[in-house]
Amino acid sequence: MKELLKQKEISILAIILLIGAVLSFVSPVFLTIGNFLDIIEGNVVLGILAIGMTLIIITSDIDVSVAAVTTAVAVSIGYLFTYLPDSWISVLLLFLIAPVIGLVMGLVNGLLVSIIEIPAIVVTLGTLNIIAGIVLYITNGNYINSTSFPKSFMEFANYELLGIPILIYLLAIVAIGTWYILKHTLIGRSVLAIGGNTQSSVRVGIDYKKVKLFVFAYMGVLAGIAAIAQTAYTKAVDPNGMLGLELTVIAAVVLGGANIHGGRGSVHGTLLGVLLLAIMQNGMILARIDTYWQNVVTGAIIVIAVSYDHISYKRSQDKLAKIEVEA
Amino acid sequence: MKKLYLLLIAALLLVGILAGCVAENSGSSDSEGEAEAGGAEGESAGGEEGLDIAVVPKLVGIPYFNASESGANEAGEDLEGVNVNYTGPTQADASAQVKVIEDLISKNVDVIAVAPNDPASVEPVLKKAKESGIHVMDWDTPADKELVDLSVKQVDDEEFGRHMAQKLVEAMGTEEGEIAILTGGLSAANLNLWIEAAQKEFDENYPGIEIVSEKIPTDEKQQVAYQKTLDLLKSYPDLKGVLAVSTPAPLGAAQAVQEEGLQDEVSVVGSALPTDSAPFLEDGSLDTAVLWDPGKLGYLTVALGQMLAEGEMPEDGQEIEGVGEITVKEDGKTVIMGPPADFTKENAADFDF
Amino acid sequence: MKLSKESILGLIALGTFLLLALIAPGFLSSNNITSMMFQLPEFGLIALAMMVVIVTGGIDLSITYIAALSGVGAALMLTNGYGMLPAIIVAILFALACGAFNGFVISKIGVSPILVTLGTMVLFEGIILAITKGNSISGFSDGYSLIGNGYYLGLVPLSIVIFVLFAIITAILLSKTSWGRSVYMYGSNETATLFSGVKNSRVLMKVYLYASLLAAISAIIMTSRYNSVKVDLGSSYLLQSVAAAVLGGTNIHGGYGKVIGTVYAVMIFQFIRNGLNLLGFHSSLVDVVIGAILILVLAMNFFSDKFKKAAETRKAEKAA
Repeated sequence: MKELLKQKEISILAIILLIGAVLSFVSPVFLTIGNFLDIIEGNVVLGILAIGMTLIIITSDIDVSVAAVTTAVAVSIGYLFTYLPDSWISVLLLFLIAPVIGLVMGLVNGLLVSIIEIPAIVVTLGTLNIIAGIVLYITNGNYINSTSFPKSFMEFANYELLGIPILIYLLAIVAIGTWYILKHTLIGRSVLAIGGNTQSSVRVGIDYKKVKLFVFAYMGVLAGIAAIAQTAYTKAVDPNGMLGLELTVIAAVVLGGANIHGGRGSVHGTLLGVLLLAIMQNGMILARIDTYWQNVVTGAIIVIAVSYDHISYKRSQDKLAKIEVEA
Repeated sequence: MKKLYLLLIAALLLVGILAGCVAENSGSSDSEGEAEAGGAEGESAGGEEGLDIAVVPKLVGIPYFNASESGANEAGEDLEGVNVNYTGPTQADASAQVKVIEDLISKNVDVIAVAPNDPASVEPVLKKAKESGIHVMDWDTPADKELVDLSVKQVDDEEFGRHMAQKLVEAMGTEEGEIAILTGGLSAANLNLWIEAAQKEFDENYPGIEIVSEKIPTDEKQQVAYQKTLDLLKSYPDLKGVLAVSTPAPLGAAQAVQEEGLQDEVSVVGSALPTDSAPFLEDGSLDTAVLWDPGKLGYLTVALGQMLAEGEMPEDGQEIEGVGEITVKEDGKTVIMGPPADFTKENAADFDF
Repeated sequence: MKLSKESILGLIALGTFLLLALIAPGFLSSNNITSMMFQLPEFGLIALAMMVVIVTGGIDLSITYIAALSGVGAALMLTNGYGMLPAIIVAILFALACGAFNGFVISKIGVSPILVTLGTMVLFEGIILAITKGNSISGFSDGYSLIGNGYYLGLVPLSIVIFVLFAIITAILLSKTSWGRSVYMYGSNETATLFSGVKNSRVLMKVYLYASLLAAISAIIMTSRYNSVKVDLGSSYLLQSVAAAVLGGTNIHGGYGKVIGTVYAVMIFQFIRNGLNLLGFHSSLVDVVIGAILILVLAMNFFSDKFKKAAETRKAEKAA
């Protein structure tokens, strides 16, 4: 089983290395530390959301409301800024409030999915419409720009530790935390078990509804954290800024080897998926690819990546001739 | 075999329908008559409660069109007997906009002023509106000239594009060097017009300016503009200037320049609202924002809509209260609000949009 | 007597219609009814296409770009002086090519549909951008514009007749042909279908081809109605069409879904959007209402299903 998973992630790593090799050949800037930090910092939000989405996809569900939830939290943060005093306590407080707002919205999704048993795509499609509509109605799409932000938050946003931006640490903490939960806690193991085989996991006494509720609530918390990261990164709140991000998040997760039908997926795989998308974005300008052909190239790479991945998966599956599930 | 039959029958039916349609082409005039009757009814209804002027933006929920909304509503309050109905789609999607206009026709408004997402796509529906006796005009972005009774423009596109190009060269302080162009989206017609005009200006008057790549799309998002500018700064280390067209793009470009501390090396000029750009104008990461007052544009649109419905046409040099002196082009129906306004460090604080 | 899911939905559609007729001024005017009939078909066809794909347990995220690309095909022919018929044929061929590509990767290589179409969505968009450079192609003949703007026999919009026709064809194909039965079977149990001697890959291939055909018809109506085509033609219909299909009772995991349900759902969306516009609601609130309805109706389905299931299990237990 270990080998199988490795293969899954190795195939995406191979694609990343291949594109990386081409890019560093074409552009001398690509292989610099500065460029890498830029790439990672620019995709912290995508990374955090994708990690949350990984858990949902492992349980064979999907959440298309993530971008709307994150925007809603970001807008709430923006309004809160006018009330918060300018001190470090405000920033800490923010890390308490934002995840809670996200958690509430996540719980709504989770309750509808687990208790009312509406398919997750339908629930989140519904909440996407509702949340995005309300946000647009309230804000009317107006920016909240950095002039109303407390200075302490701006300091936080620009803080660097050992030359590495704070947001990258944030992503690392989320990644390691989630990895730990998946690997070493009961609820994390239950997530994997349910995704692998719902019926048998219910038989061994796992509370199916509780796990479903957990993954959506967790996604909500991460959306709250992502909202802080987004606000810190853009130093403004744009209610339309994350339009359509949900599909990119899903793309990152599935490119990273999570099976959309559940059971398979890992934090490091997802991070590789995010990296692949990030490098492709970054590479378009560095490689000086014609504007009008950029989407053709991106689309082709995605199709090739998923096909290649699937073919190698099928091969290894044939070799093993059995299906197993493990983190 | 059965399937084949079904398909054949379907195909036959289709052909039948098409034939029927062409043969009964005149049928559409029937309903036209009906529609006209409806329109007349609407006007008499409108007479009691005043003029209903519908202003349709490309989309609702972005700062630019919010500013024009408040202007339009202000005009609705200032002008006597005018009800303003400002409504548009939530996405800049041509088909969604057409539906909004169709619903407005059903509402029997007196004037429809539209900022088309795609000029050609609103043609049929504007025709329908005219047939129902509704006065049709465009604002912000021109629709088909033959169709509209009046066309309100903030600035002259050609002039605006060239003006931005000149401002950029001015900010760079040199007529030589590499520049890049960012745009909101590849398919935005007015942005494309401005960029074309700017490129012409560079070609004709500043041959030393080299544009390093095709215009780069930023999805109308500040964050994307920011990332693309970072990438540009890396891959073209000699970059001297960035021309950012569309309201979020200059902000993102300026943010990148600000963070890299390149305020003195790289100039950014673009079309942005003054309040949004204030933090970047402050330290010179954004050199000049060029735009107009979208609120005034909304106000002017409603004011002219009222004139149109009352049978008057604007004249060149006419003074419109709350807006200023307007220019009317030779065709007698294209109204230009005025020259573009430059927002700089010094004056940005004076504006409230 | 128990009402089926679809009939309940039909009643909801009727209820919405009556409610809006009462409260929205001008909702019942002949002008407004006609304009709704013009508005419905393009979205209805995309929703039908999405429904057929969802019945197999898949999803087609590239469907709106297939429509846009097919519209570009028609527009290129028309603006280069070809007649209507060649243009329509090219539009259909463009769409079928896209559908075949999706179908090939999904059915022959076996990648899951959401992944493939996520990729081809970007790919097809890219192809349109590469062809059009982002500009719109416009200015078609008057004859062509009659498809989306003309009246059939001077009474009803031609486009709604086309929509009804394709709805009927889809219903017949799904319920009366062996292909249709295989589609449902595949959707409920892939492996069992394979072992009962059905060529899964062929069934799937035809599903994606048929969906793209419907997208092409929608594209022809849209290009004719809007007299123009651009890369984002109909792009706002993507998630809406998924919503319409599931509101119409289609099981997102496959195996169940009826044309009439989707048609009712499309009608409900149409009534609400139009009615709220007439009432002068802010456009963003329309999304909110549609989202709420989606969740409410599915919650209702859940509770009614629960009663049924409870009854069934009781029976099953007794039998055991």
